[in-house]
This record gives sequence, structure tokens and C-alpha cells, in this order.
Amino acid sequence: MNFNSPIKTSSRLSHLAESPAPAWKKQKTRSRITLLVSLLTLGSMLLSACGTSSSNASNGSGANASSADGSASAGETSSAPAADMKLRILSSNVGGKTPEEMKKFEEEITRLTGIEVTIEKPASDYDQKVLTALGSGEKYDLIEGSDLGKLNTFIDQGVTMDLTDFVQGSKELSDPTVVPTEEWDQLKGKDGHIYAVFSKFQGGTMPIVRKDWLDKLHLQEPKTLDDYYNVLKAFTEQDPDGNGKKDTYGLSTSGLYDIQGFMSAAGLKYRYVMKDGKRTIPYASDAAIPMYEWFAKLTKEGILDPNFVTNDTAKMRNLFLTDRVGMITYWDAWVGMLNNTRQEEDPNTSFQAEAVAGAEGPDGKIILRRGDPDYWMVPANAEHVEAAEKFLEFWHSEPGIILGSLGIEGEDYTKDNGTYTLTETGKEHGMDHGVPFWYNENVKAPFDKLPGVQAAQDLVKQYATLELSLPEWSDAEKIVTNYALKAMSGSMPAADAVKQMQKELKAANLIDE
Amino acid sequence: MLKTWCKYGALYLMMVPVICYFLVYGYYPLARGLQISFQDYRLIGNRPYIGFDNYGTVWHDPNFWKSLTNTLVIGGGSLVCGFLAPLIIALSLNEVLKSWFKKTAQMILYVPHLLSWVVVGGMWIYLLSPDTGLVNLLLQRTLDIPPVHYLAESGWARVVMILVATWKDMGYNCILFLAGIVAINPSLYEAARLDGATRWQQVRYVTLPQIQSTMKVVLLLNTLGVLRIFDQVFVLRNNSTAPDVDVLMYYTYQKGILDFHVGVAAAASMLVLIFTLLLTLIVRKLTRFDEV
Repeated sequence: MNFNSPIKTSSRLSHLAESPAPAWKKQKTRSRITLLVSLLTLGSMLLSACGTSSSNASNGSGANASSADGSASAGETSSAPAADMKLRILSSNVGGKTPEEMKKFEEEITRLTGIEVTIEKPASDYDQKVLTALGSGEKYDLIEGSDLGKLNTFIDQGVTMDLTDFVQGSKELSDPTVVPTEEWDQLKGKDGHIYAVFSKFQGGTMPIVRKDWLDKLHLQEPKTLDDYYNVLKAFTEQDPDGNGKKDTYGLSTSGLYDIQGFMSAAGLKYRYVMKDGKRTIPYASDAAIPMYEWFAKLTKEGILDPNFVTNDTAKMRNLFLTDRVGMITYWDAWVGMLNNTRQEEDPNTSFQAEAVAGAEGPDGKIILRRGDPDYWMVPANAEHVEAAEKFLEFWHSEPGIILGSLGIEGEDYTKDNGTYTLTETGKEHGMDHGVPFWYNENVKAPFDKLPGVQAAQDLVKQYATLELSLPEWSDAEKIVTNYALKAMSGSMPAADAVKQMQKELKAANLIDE
Repeated sequence: MLKTWCKYGALYLMMVPVICYFLVYGYYPLARGLQISFQDYRLIGNRPYIGFDNYGTVWHDPNFWKSLTNTLVIGGGSLVCGFLAPLIIALSLNEVLKSWFKKTAQMILYVPHLLSWVVVGGMWIYLLSPDTGLVNLLLQRTLDIPPVHYLAESGWARVVMILVATWKDMGYNCILFLAGIVAINPSLYEAARLDGATRWQQVRYVTLPQIQSTMKVVLLLNTLGVLRIFDQVFVLRNNSTAPDVDVLMYYTYQKGILDFHVGVAAAASMLVLIFTLLLTLIVRKLTRFDEV
């Protein structure tokens, strides 16, 4: 290739380049062409930018439209026709399982309430989405949350609307059969006002055991810590799955909060406990030393799954489902889901998961962990407060509960003469569209609970209590978890680990004693 | 001046979109971050200016300094290993005469760079597992070393972070070095051979000096990323090793996204920015980057 030859881009350009014009004219022509090309480039970029922006605008039309109409709706009285109401929701759990089903979910809410709803359910990074949405001034009418610590932060930062008057004035929500009165304490700020409304009934965690393995090895349900040790050891050493190999573990856990059922033996509760107005962390007290030593013994003897430090809950569940471990600690609802999963695979399976109460403390008391509730909050900048309130009442009514549990009529279930039948899609969705369980005692479940769930929930009601969420817990948790896991895995003597925990917690002003 | 504008006006005009892009997506967030770092940032409502309070909070937070130490150890380790390992491999591959072997090796080395940290992290968590992990099985069967939970032991956590990061990006840096080596004038090797230089002497006196500029670029590019490690730590950390591996970007993530203390997170980000600037300037000075 001859690099000195003129580049022929187009006949017109080459014609211009070859024309016998004066030098100033050539220069001017070149400048014009360059200018033209630049303008075209700039123009196309601007046009594409405008296109994007207009397309974004149209995508978010629901939101924008709701903003535009919001002031009018919010200002209307409760007797205003619901059809005029609009609602924009940011949700982590509630809604359809797929984008298509979400659309039908929104339409179903509109059909049932008359409120025109837009639900945004991010596939991941929900906390990040909430933060960016609120920080950038986006306006939602309802935001779902599941962490009481975060709710307190939201209250402190003025994010949430005070809903006390609404809840107390609401015929539905103030009814103790719909939501037990004492439950509202969970959603109160320091000032005693209510800042959120429950989205579902939240259960708790407890040890879940392979009942069929217990029966096979002729073991009784464990009650004390020694009983637990014997059962777990037998699960590890006596080939409970009958495959002739020593390939089972007694126990698997994921995260420190999961061990509450065992720490119960020493009367220790997770997170903060206020004692005479002072902040204490029982897991960082001297009383926790023998418990960590007990876990270290399990690790040393190969009874505790060695991956417990890096396990996530899915891995832990899979070990349980694949006959690798005889006991895990997890949510009440999962007892049923674990049983159901195995039964769906093999209707003749002997697999039987069962919840057991934690280990008895010195006074015979058992401490289980009640999970933070899922809740709806109305942001302070919400534009459709009235629609949000109407939706919250609907959510706790029978149609709302059926929608949140079974799903959409015609899609997830059919109803004939008051009898509900789940469709194949409904079976796949496991009767959970954000509300697997609810508070409202007036609404009876259309189907029986999955096997084992009721017994697990009874244990939660009997023994589980909420944990105290103080804002400094996230910093304290790092220190406690770090040393506790080291002690449990035997890489650090338990006494040293607790001593170090106390030292660091005090130095960082995270405990008072 | 006006004449220059008339002459090159069109070119300046072409730069407008690029400048706009950087202003909107680069400098505006930076300016906003700086502004937020001086505010008591509430998610909704007024956001009063509080001077340097957020910086004070960060400065007096022992976790910040611990995170900085972790960042420098893990980032520094990754920088050194991530520089030397691909260089050694590139020099070795250059000596391989079979081109099919060279190409295959390059491809295998490059593949991990294409995978996201989620995939790589999951893979290594599985490989390093104490009961079923391949690494422990091999060590146990060949050298009779008892299983170690590498990702849960404080002593190993940082080493694993450095080695996995090096493994992941080795192929990419290796290609950069190989590109530099290929561009070397063959007559230099011919002259060296005529002077009786051995293979090693050719590498020492021809290859290495000739790819010096590539080495400087790779080193500087990697330096820019030292304080920005996040994905890897996010995937591979656990509560047992958190104090040893939580880095500055994770500290910022925790303060901002998990704890909703946006002002403090912004102040920490600004400090990370300043540290990166300082680090880059030091590396530029030490490598005499401008004398390429």
C-alpha cells in the first residue's frame, strides 16, 4: 500500500481535494467539511442522548405520572374514589416472581383496591437501591424493610413518616386480632411513635434435626447440651444415612446468630442486652467461654461441619437436604420447605425435618431467636400517602393476605365455590409472594401448613424473643463474630478470644461493662 | 487567538461531548462527594454543613486505619506478585519455540481475567474447602499436610487474597508484556548473539531493558487500583477473617450502604482518593515514568 497516495473517502471529497482552487479556499473548504462532520457527530450524540432521556422518561412514566397526580390524590379525602389513587412501591420480597408476574400482580392490586400500583423489586443489592433512591430524591410511597436497626437509622434521619395516628385511627390495623397490640412496640421509635407497618408475620430460628435419623439411631430428642452432644456425635459416627461411609456431620451452621439455640444452655442472648441501663453483649461475657469450648470440641472431633465459617445459608441447607448433616439451625418456615422439597423429589422418602427447642439453660429456660420483622415504611417525601395507607389496610385484609401468600387468582390459584386450588405455577411459587405467614387471626389459611411448620412456629411463640438492635451493633458484631468463630474453630483458646473481645469492645466504647 | 479558534474551532467542538461526559459522570459526582463529605447528610430533609466532622470521625476510627493497613498489605502484595508473576511467565513463554504451546498457555492464563469475581470467588471457596477442596486433598495426599481452612484462618486470609488476585489478572498483564517483547527489534538479539550472549544474557541485557516502558505502564496502572480493591474482598471475606482483609473500599461500603452514614462514607472516599493520588505520584517519581 502506498501511504503517500491520497485517501479516497468519497468522490465528492476527492473532487474537492483535487480541484484547482486557491490555498485559502482549500483551507476554508476543509474547515467547513470538518465543521459539518463535527456538527453531525455532535448532533447525533445529542439526539441519542435526547432519545435515551425521553425513553427513560417514558419508562418511568408510572412514577412521573404518579408524581404529577400525587398532590391531588394525597389531598383528597378517604371517600375519594380509589381509582384516582396511585402508588409507587419499592419492595424486596413482595410481588410477582418474574417481571411478567409482577405486572399481573400490579394489575391484581388495582383490581382489588382500585389503586394504580407500580412495584419495583430489584433483583439484587436492595439496600443499595434504597439508599440511592432516597439519597437522590426519588419519591416512593412505600418502601419495604427487614432490619430494625435500619429502621432506627431511617427514623433518626427523618426518612420515615410517623404513622401513629394512622395506625391508631385505622379500624383494621388497631384491631388486636389483626395485629396484636404488643407487636407494634417493635416498630416504634425512641419517641414511642409508630414508624412502620408490618408486611408479614416473622418467625424465628431454632435447631432443625433429622427426625428420621434420630429414630433410626434410637435417640431421644435432645434437651440439654449434653443430649445435643450425644445426638450430634451419633450423627457423625453411627452412619445415620446407612451408606457405609463416615461422610456425615452432626451439625452445620452459618453465622453466629444461628447458634442461639445452643448458647441458650448458658442463658446467653445474641446482640445487646441492657443491664441496669448499661450495654452488655452476653456472647462477649465470661459465661460464653464454656460454650465456645463446647463448639471447639465439636470441631476437633469432626462433628461440626468444618466449613461453618464460610458457609452461607444455602450451602447449609444443601448439606441438610443431601444427607450430609443431621442438624442445622434455621427459620421455622424452612422446616416445611425442607420436608416439601424432599417429598417432591421422592414421595416415599424417609426424610423428616423437625424443629427442636434449643438447649435448656441453668434455670430450665430456653432462648430462641425471633427474626426482625419485615415492614412497610412511608417515606417522608411520599406523594400518595392516602393511597399508601389504603394499601396498608388492604395488605392486612383477607384479599391482601391471599394475594401476598397464594398469589394472583387465575395465575397462582383458582377459586371455585370458596375452594382454593393451586395451579402448577402456584405450587412452584410455594404460597409466598411476600406473606407466607400473617398476623390476622380472622383470615384462615386456605391450605394446611407444610409438614413441621406449625410445631416450629409453636416453639417460636413459646421461646423466641426479639434481639435488641442498637446502632453500634454493626461495629460490635465484627469484633464478637471474629473472635467467637476463632474460638469455635479451635484456632484460639476460648478464654483468650473472650478476653480479646471484651478488650476491643471496651476500647471502641461499644459496651459499658 | 481568534484565528486559532477559527482554524481549529471544529476540533474544539468535537471535544465538547467528551468534556461534557467527563463533567457529568466524572467531575460532578466527585464534586458532590466532596460536598457531602462536609455535610451531616440525611437521606431526606436538610443537610447542614458540619465542617471537617466527618473527616474527624474517619480519622479517629481505628477500623479505618486497620482497613488502610489491610489495603496496603493486600494491595501491595498483589501489586508486587501481580507484576512479577506475569513478567516471569511472559519471559518464559517468549523462550518457548512451539507457537501452539505458547498460544494455548496464553489463552489458559487469560481466561480467569474474563471471569467475574463472583465466579472466581465461588470457585476458590470451593477449591480451598477443608473437607472437599482440591487444594487440601492434594496437599494431604501428596505431602500429608492436614487440612487447613485457608479462608477462615487469619494467617492465611491475606495470602489467599494476594495469590488469587495474582492468578486472576496474570494472563492480562502477561499479554501486555508479551506485546512489548514482540515489538523488540530482532537485530538487537542478533547483535547480542554475535557478541556471544547466552539466552539468559539476552533476556537480562536486551529483553528487560527494551520492555522497561511497558513495565512502567503496567506498574502504574496496577498502582492506581491498589486502594480500590473491593469485589474480591466482598466475595472472599467472612466474619472470621474480616479484621485482616476488610479494605478501605469495604469500609466505605459499610459506612455508606450498610450503615447509611453517607457523610462519613464520602469523607472516607475522599481520603482514599488523596491516598491514591499520593501513591501514584510516588510511583511515577520512583519509576521516572515521564522519562519513558
